[in-house]
Amino acid sequence: MLESTGIEGQAGPIPAAAGIGLRFPHHELVLQTHPAVPWFEVHAENYFGGGSARRTLEAVRRDYPLSLHGVGLSLGSAEGLDRSHLERLAALVQSIEPALVSEHLAWSVVGGRYLADLLPLPMTEEALAVVCAHVQQTQERLRRPILLENPSSYLTFAHSSIPEWEFLAAVVNRTGCGILCDVNNIFVSASNHGWDALKYLNALPAQAIGEYHLAGHAVCTLENGREVRIDNHGSRVAPPVWALYEQALRRLGPRPTLIEWDTDIPALDVLLDEAALAGDRLRSSATRSHACAA
Amino acid sequence: MPALLELQRAMGRALLAPSAPDAQTLGFEASPAFGVYRNTCLGTLTQALALSFPAVRRLVGSAFFESAAQAFIRAHPATSACLNDYGEQLPAFLAHYRHAAAVTYLADVARLEWAVNRALHAADVEALDVASLAKLDAAAVPALSFVPHGAVTVLRLERPADVIWRAVLDGDDAALRALDPDAGPVWLLIGRSAAGVEVRRMTALAGVFTQRLCAGEPLQAVLDATAASIEPTGGESMADALNAVLADHLASARFTSWRIGEQAS
Repeated sequence: MLESTGIEGQAGPIPAAAGIGLRFPHHELVLQTHPAVPWFEVHAENYFGGGSARRTLEAVRRDYPLSLHGVGLSLGSAEGLDRSHLERLAALVQSIEPALVSEHLAWSVVGGRYLADLLPLPMTEEALAVVCAHVQQTQERLRRPILLENPSSYLTFAHSSIPEWEFLAAVVNRTGCGILCDVNNIFVSASNHGWDALKYLNALPAQAIGEYHLAGHAVCTLENGREVRIDNHGSRVAPPVWALYEQALRRLGPRPTLIEWDTDIPALDVLLDEAALAGDRLRSSATRSHACAA
Repeated sequence: MPALLELQRAMGRALLAPSAPDAQTLGFEASPAFGVYRNTCLGTLTQALALSFPAVRRLVGSAFFESAAQAFIRAHPATSACLNDYGEQLPAFLAHYRHAAAVTYLADVARLEWAVNRALHAADVEALDVASLAKLDAAAVPALSFVPHGAVTVLRLERPADVIWRAVLDGDDAALRALDPDAGPVWLLIGRSAAGVEVRRMTALAGVFTQRLCAGEPLQAVLDATAASIEPTGGESMADALNAVLADHLASARFTSWRIGEQAS
């Protein structure tokens, strides 16, 4: 069972407050200015090597709670997990002792080739069995539960038989993992596929939510004239995504929340401003729930 | 309904193919959106190459770089999700990429940038304990060999890629104009210290010696091969010069362990 105020990791909990993604352009500034951020998240694969990147991560880890967010384990690969990738992740987890470890409900490896994107899975019993087996394998190797993030997607499969929200809940039930609820991804996928975003939120098991992600997305028009929302992490959080986040806080409760910004990375201050906006909402949701409890 | 593995194989082929896939065979409901995934796949890998080969990119321009990168990605897809490891074959690919044939030094700059990339990202490994060498029996020393740190690369390049690389990254056009690309081969030692990545020129003597040491050859074989490959010069003896080179490698933590036959540090 996960605590509503943050999760006990090996290195202490991440508070239900708004953190930011730590990216290379900000490494020096963060080390020098020690900004008032409650926690940081990094992409695990960027720190599989040594050298100055690893030194920076260790220094940041000494001063802040840290979350390791994997983007390349490919939990949905039918051919099995890349064991060397899992070993490198395990070594990093052992050395850094992050408060949270997360990965995606997606796949990116086939035939030993890494396709450098979080690719969509058909929502079938077969895919569910594959993902559950790999989440279990990962949790056993890391000796801790992970959070599984809902993806953004641009196409669906004709033979999908399980709604994505039920698929996620089933993985939680079978493996004991938590959910990293990416609110922007729910909004993007719901818009692209005509889903009801609130129905998606309502179907998620509240006690399993360990973290929220917020990010900006782009709107593009495809060759066939269809409009598609693309989760590019390249701008401020869109107003309807803030509204959906407020719904998530109300329905699922306050949790550590991350501002993701990976393309056209802005000045650190812009990220901190955006995190403050999420922090305001988290605080008012906590006040509301205290008022209810009283 | 395709089995998951079959579906993933088909999508993998379609992502790396230049034309759109047959949506029917893949079971997609909205095939034009497949291009979103292809763009991300190619864009992310291209960006990874641009980060590891910044001087190559500046030398050829971003549009040329992108098209060369896409050809490279299709010929050599990534095999690991750790993208700092991606691009090892790019220098050899560029050496045979006919559209870049006019830039004679491009592949050499790429070789240097790959070595710099390794120096930046190689795993942290403890340097060998130099004191452990002092206890060795002198008779065993000819069979002594070393394991180099993953950050260390020795390169013999036909062109002065180190000067080109620095000038390109500094935007120093005057240095580029003053350069003679046909001045003859250079030996470079790339590694990292506490201060960061180091790119140093070596003499041919030190270069041949270090390259063979880093290949794990036994010390006596390295000395013999070095002596055979270099014309003797006056002044300092070869042995003294190589002793100084070896001492510098040991002091600079360029080796992580030693071995003599079955015996190892």
